Amino acid sequence: MVLCLVALPVFAVLSIFSVKYRKLTKEAFDCLFKTVTFRKCRSGLDNRIRAVLTGRIIRLSPGIAKIFYKNYKIFSWVLFILLVWSFYVSFIGIHNYILYGNCNGPESSGFCIFDPTGSNSRISEIDYVIPANITYPVLEDDDPIIGDPKAELTIIEFGCYTCPYTKNAESTVQKIIDYYNGRVNVQFKTFVIPNHPFSTESALAADCALEQGKYYDYHKLLFDNQEKMNYDMLISLAGSLGMNMTQFTNCLEDEKYKFEVQDDTFMGLEAGVPGTPTFFIGKSKVVGPKPFKTFKNIIDEELKK
Amino acid sequence: MNVEKLREDFPILKKPIIYFDSACMSLKPRQVIEKVSKYYTDYTACAGRSSHKFAHEVEIQVAGTRKEVKCLINAKRDSEIIFSKNTTESINLIANSFGLKPGDEVIISDKEHNSNLLPWLKLAKKGIKVVPVESNEDNTFNINNFEKAFTENTKLVSVVHTSNMDGVTNPVKEIVKIAHNNNAAVLVDAAQSVPSKEVDVQSLGVDFLAFSGHKALGPTGTGVLYGKKEMLEKLDQFLMGGETVVDSTYTGYEPEELPARFEAGLQNYAGIIGLGEACKYLKKVGLKNISRHEFKLNKMLSEAFADNEKISILGPKDPEQRAGIFSFIVSGMDIHDVSGMLSASRNIMLRSGAHCVHSWFNKRGLKGSVRASMYLYNTEEEAQAFIDELNKILKF
Repeated sequence: MVLCLVALPVFAVLSIFSVKYRKLTKEAFDCLFKTVTFRKCRSGLDNRIRAVLTGRIIRLSPGIAKIFYKNYKIFSWVLFILLVWSFYVSFIGIHNYILYGNCNGPESSGFCIFDPTGSNSRISEIDYVIPANITYPVLEDDDPIIGDPKAELTIIEFGCYTCPYTKNAESTVQKIIDYYNGRVNVQFKTFVIPNHPFSTESALAADCALEQGKYYDYHKLLFDNQEKMNYDMLISLAGSLGMNMTQFTNCLEDEKYKFEVQDDTFMGLEAGVPGTPTFFIGKSKVVGPKPFKTFKNIIDEELKK
Repeated sequence: MNVEKLREDFPILKKPIIYFDSACMSLKPRQVIEKVSKYYTDYTACAGRSSHKFAHEVEIQVAGTRKEVKCLINAKRDSEIIFSKNTTESINLIANSFGLKPGDEVIISDKEHNSNLLPWLKLAKKGIKVVPVESNEDNTFNINNFEKAFTENTKLVSVVHTSNMDGVTNPVKEIVKIAHNNNAAVLVDAAQSVPSKEVDVQSLGVDFLAFSGHKALGPTGTGVLYGKKEMLEKLDQFLMGGETVVDSTYTGYEPEELPARFEAGLQNYAGIIGLGEACKYLKKVGLKNISRHEFKLNKMLSEAFADNEKISILGPKDPEQRAGIFSFIVSGMDIHDVSGMLSASRNIMLRSGAHCVHSWFNKRGLKGSVRASMYLYNTEEEAQAFIDELNKILKF
């Protein structure tokens, strides 16, 4: 009976692809149904599976086949436990995907079968060991706030202007701000990706734009022109917004906000940011450009607190 | 008999299989397959009804098969050969047409296939007594018990010729003699014997004999009932319909001549024509050669496991008495496990279960046996592979 229980979901999945497994699925179900209704299961399906498996193992090693045959019930229970475990893992995976857009949870950028291209989870990774004891990032007055400054909840985003995944997340960030209509805002902290050209320079330039009150427009222009990012472009974009170019150029060349950018990046490292974009919503961490519903689930919980 | 050359005639043997389930279903040679196919591609038609070219061809071919079957079992007349669906239908024809009345008795052996048990048990509900004859301890036929089973009410003896369960061949000639001395007719279930040994109905003296085409290299859905002309003429018609009557009115009908009166409705012409080709093939190979070959393989298997305490062979120890059937039980191991393992490990195709002889196994409290049934296309290498694989399992 134990093996019928294991066989049922296995055959059920296989029967999607091959009709020959449908009869076996029905047999396994009948067997299970009869057992739970205290009737005798006469299909012999478990015995057949035992015989076939033993026969296959004989080809490789009669000795191992003998061990398997003699300890069949133990193997059945092991398979059953593995089945229950895999059900549990699958359930958690599906649950995580529905809630967070990734099977492994909001903090993961790992592979998820439901999102094979990783569109919800890909990040610009950095090569460092995430500290065991992380320090949650804090809001700082010198970092820009996107949205209503008086909002009840502030999401801290670690992003990079040269990171395509941070760019992908921009539309979601805007949607969050629009959807919550003043209740939620976002503080953007620059997180330098060392192997991305102009990662530091673009972060410095954004702070220089903030100095002239042009941060929000410049922030948007940086992402819009991400593919052709270079030093001259950082300056020309500032010019297009009517900034004081002498002030801007000096600010950028002198690396005026170097320590500010370094502090933000360091804060991210201490908070266990694996790459960009990474978001902190209260104590929850969201890694990658997850879909809106992922943020909404967490934000709604935070707003209830 | 050149088995390797002969195997080339069986397209299915190109697959990496060891087919040891011929007692259930024989494989088909190319000649039979082509003959069946030819009916569908060259002259698909009805026999005995239409008068066009195709219909004539079908009639010729069906008549040819009847002659082939007649020759195979040495019947006296073509009209003594009735085509049916299988052995089961042939036996049911007799059970329903013989005219048994309440109080009449039918003797059977104690290891009949359900096909030769259930038709009689059904009649038992109408007051006909079914008398099973207990076999000897080694499963051979007990003539003394048989003789004692007769009463003045015994009207029919219906016994298996070669058992599908253990391969034991019953002494039909002696059975017939005793039965006739007691004024009882004899029906023989020859499903296993006709494909593998020379069966001469005249020499045996049987009144009726039934066998299937599918166990004798022929297509599925083909069977034969042989009956002595005078016995067949006494039978009531069983199935009624097209071609069983010469004429009919709203109040009556005039039965057809033999054998048409027992072949109701449109027949399995393709199958029957294929059966004719199978008979030709068997005769070409030679039934004596087939018997010898089966014995040789069974001897190999029997000797290999003769001293193995874990194996119990059903039937007598002497393989010569068990035709091509090696039926066994492995102590401490489920029969289906054994056949399943051999199938999975080396594609050895066996049958496990009660082989439709539930009554014999039930009486002994057994679930069944594993049966290796060999035929003309099996080789000594295959027998050796079976021995090697079974030996691995016996070490469990």
